[in-house]
Amino acid sequence: MPYNIAYSHIYQLSSKLIDRGHKVIIVTHAYAGRTGVRYLTNGLKVYHVPFWVIYRETTFPTVFSFFPVFRNIVIREQIEIVHGHGSLSNLCHEAILHARTMGLRTVFTDHSLFGFSDAASILTNKLLKFTLSDVDHCICVSHTCKENTVLRASLDPLMVSVIPNAVVAENFQPLEHASSHDAPGPPHRFGPHDIIKIVVISRLFTNKGTDLLVAAIPRILASNPNVRFIIAGSGPKAIDLEQMIERNVLQEKVLLFGPVRHEEVRDVMVQGHIYLHPSLTEAFGTVIVEAASCGLYVVCTRVGGIPEVLPRHMTEFAAPEEDDIVAATERAIAALRAGKVRTELFHNQVKQMYSWTDVAQRTERVYDGISGALSHDEFYQGAGAGGAWSATRGRAGVQSFALIERLKRYYGCGIWAGKLFCLCAIIDYLLYVFLEIFAPRSGIDIARTWPKKDPVRKEVDTGMARKKSSRHRREKREE
Amino acid sequence: MSNSTATRETIKLNHIDPDRLAPEDAYNSEASRGPLAVEAAMSARWRRERTRSASRRRKGNYKKLLWFKQPFPDNYTDEETFLDHLQRNPRLQPYEFWSLMADSTVIVQHIASVAIFCCCFVAIVQERVSPISVVSWASFCTVLAWALWDYWLGEEEAEAAKAAADKQENGVEEVTNTWSGSVLPPKGPHGSELALENEGKFRPVHSHTTSTTSITSNESEAPRTGQADPLPGSPTKQQAPYVDPTSSISPRNQQRLATVKSALLIYAALLGLSPILKSLTMSTTSDSIWAMSTWLLCMNVAFFDYGEGSGSHLPASISTNSALMASTVLASRLPSTTHVFSLTLFSIEVFGLFPIFRRQLRSRSWHGNLVLTIALVVNACGGVCVTLTGGGRGAWIAGVILGGVITFFAMGICSWWLIGLQKYKNEIRGPWDPARPIIRRRWD
Repeated sequence: MPYNIAYSHIYQLSSKLIDRGHKVIIVTHAYAGRTGVRYLTNGLKVYHVPFWVIYRETTFPTVFSFFPVFRNIVIREQIEIVHGHGSLSNLCHEAILHARTMGLRTVFTDHSLFGFSDAASILTNKLLKFTLSDVDHCICVSHTCKENTVLRASLDPLMVSVIPNAVVAENFQPLEHASSHDAPGPPHRFGPHDIIKIVVISRLFTNKGTDLLVAAIPRILASNPNVRFIIAGSGPKAIDLEQMIERNVLQEKVLLFGPVRHEEVRDVMVQGHIYLHPSLTEAFGTVIVEAASCGLYVVCTRVGGIPEVLPRHMTEFAAPEEDDIVAATERAIAALRAGKVRTELFHNQVKQMYSWTDVAQRTERVYDGISGALSHDEFYQGAGAGGAWSATRGRAGVQSFALIERLKRYYGCGIWAGKLFCLCAIIDYLLYVFLEIFAPRSGIDIARTWPKKDPVRKEVDTGMARKKSSRHRREKREE
Repeated sequence: MSNSTATRETIKLNHIDPDRLAPEDAYNSEASRGPLAVEAAMSARWRRERTRSASRRRKGNYKKLLWFKQPFPDNYTDEETFLDHLQRNPRLQPYEFWSLMADSTVIVQHIASVAIFCCCFVAIVQERVSPISVVSWASFCTVLAWALWDYWLGEEEAEAAKAAADKQENGVEEVTNTWSGSVLPPKGPHGSELALENEGKFRPVHSHTTSTTSITSNESEAPRTGQADPLPGSPTKQQAPYVDPTSSISPRNQQRLATVKSALLIYAALLGLSPILKSLTMSTTSDSIWAMSTWLLCMNVAFFDYGEGSGSHLPASISTNSALMASTVLASRLPSTTHVFSLTLFSIEVFGLFPIFRRQLRSRSWHGNLVLTIALVVNACGGVCVTLTGGGRGAWIAGVILGGVITFFAMGICSWWLIGLQKYKNEIRGPWDPARPIIRRRWD
């Protein structure tokens, strides 16, 4: 199965939402060897829509061709909220457009950061502006990501929630986890001659900071003879790494693992004591949370959303400079040798910080807010200094579905882009009317819901009672 | 639209603090770039007071962190910290009018030389000017320029030698080091420019040899040999390969000899190739030739390397290649072998050697640059006017006056326009941008 951060995010969040009594459908494009409709754990239904994948699991943009299939799925599964993931996914943008045309609530989750200078970013930002002009709410994985998205799509900051990613802490347990249930003993001290292992797991790309890594490793090893490196991952920069190892004759001290599957990451991580993350840009940095959960002391660059993710006692920050990375790593080694860091406590602390249940709860609040189950004042209560945020209030809580309102929003996207977007919205609407006439709703069967076990059913009931609604809530998520 | 207006209105409060940027600054670049000090102080005080009262109202302090639960909803936007790392136009350098005017002479010079080339071609085709006289004058100028170049080179060497002598006097032991080229750029701006020059010089070489037809590549040996030799501005031993260290002649003279030798070689080769060139486009109509050469000359102007440093190599080679190709196809329209030979040699001098000289002149003397610009503009404007009207001396003078005025105003208006456009520059930097890693490559 192709692994992707957004994909695992969707899966984890969906299963937690199902536990909370929602019905969740995932619509994604077809992967090689993975097509049609599938059921995952817990009755999570996945539609793999056939599309042509062009680049790294991103589909070719076909603005309207997806609509008939999408409408069919939406009606069949009685969807109420469409939740899209990933700003590079065309499927997501299209689904949000079609969903608004069909009068559904939409949420968008952004997982990535974009600059404003290069051509690719400008294009992506325009596309994002198109989609987000008419979306009910936006979710970002970190505060930096929120600032970035607000600027890129000119959003009202109140429309954007920050809900971090989470990790499944049970999958990232340190080696001697059993003992940590007892009262924590004295911290484990490293003698001056004990070997400290530094783990690096990342795709070896320029934006992951592999150049920094290549520059820093020989210097760290030269001044700290009792240090070993374990590097897992693959990518175009792997060759640089190998050259560096050969030129400095470090085969004894640097172990290259090659690509590892996500399930094996923990097994690699627990072999080390320090996790080094030299990335140059990162929206959230799930991997450093995973490393901390495995009981590793984290050395990372202070870029993107990374400084928000872990508390100070778990991390050693460095500027994205060779000298600073070396210094920070040496500080970390010294701290471990001095026994100042209680890495054995990290796992439980991380478990407290990040859990998918919490993420699902917070996402649910967003769903409640946009569908009106939560009153508008309550949802936007964080308005801070009094009546400063009147513009939001003017929007009557939920966005209007009227075509003319939507066109107004699109029109403001730019001199040319605005008109183009309006054209797209109008064509989409006409297509919708056409489909309503020639493929009427009455002709589409309603899918039966997955039968649930009793304990779960109970939660469904509570969920419904809380919402004072006799219907199931259904979310559909896109990737 | 509603989104952006909403943002603008909602964060207006943020904008009160002059030290902090609000998201609306992302849209309005003309927003306060330096408000009055009084205003700033007042609003800062106002803001401090407001902050105090606001924080009193709030229960806890908001922090931009994810790892603990804050007593705020997820969509809470903190006015204090929201977008506090946003930077706008962090490396902005305001343009100045006269320096822009001075820099624009580079473009004017190049366009003028292209215009002169075209005028000469038209004059040759219309048989108003003999091709021999054109190429003789051009060659004479080239030799003069080369002599000047040689003189500069001598100065450079003397300077470097003096520097080395100084070092020796100061008892620095690494004299050998100084001479081995690692400390090559002597001192002062000229030295380093020369070093860059060196690279620039060799650039056409590669482009030509890899260029389209074998004929073009053969011709274009000229810029190489003509240029490359006098170049090495360093007193080191790493000179052109044909300098024989055992010979009795001084290295400088050896270089000069080599230059002359290669120039003669090129001359002979061009002479031999001219008949082939002449029949090159026999089967093509003149219309296509005019269109093609127009486009090629436009390409030459567009891709010319106007910069000072050793920038990207590709566009410059495209520029020279396209100019030489244009001259080749134009030459093939001419009636006799002598015509063809003359025009091709002329084009090599104009497009191959002249830019290198101009570059060196610009780095050497500003007044020389100015004089050259004026001379080129006068000739180009006069030539164009004469070519267009077919008139004599009167047309020439009218053209010079008109063209000079137009050129000057065009330069002024473009500079002023560029300065005006600069206020729309809106570069946003923030923590989301990929960091630029600082790596010291020295370590091994």
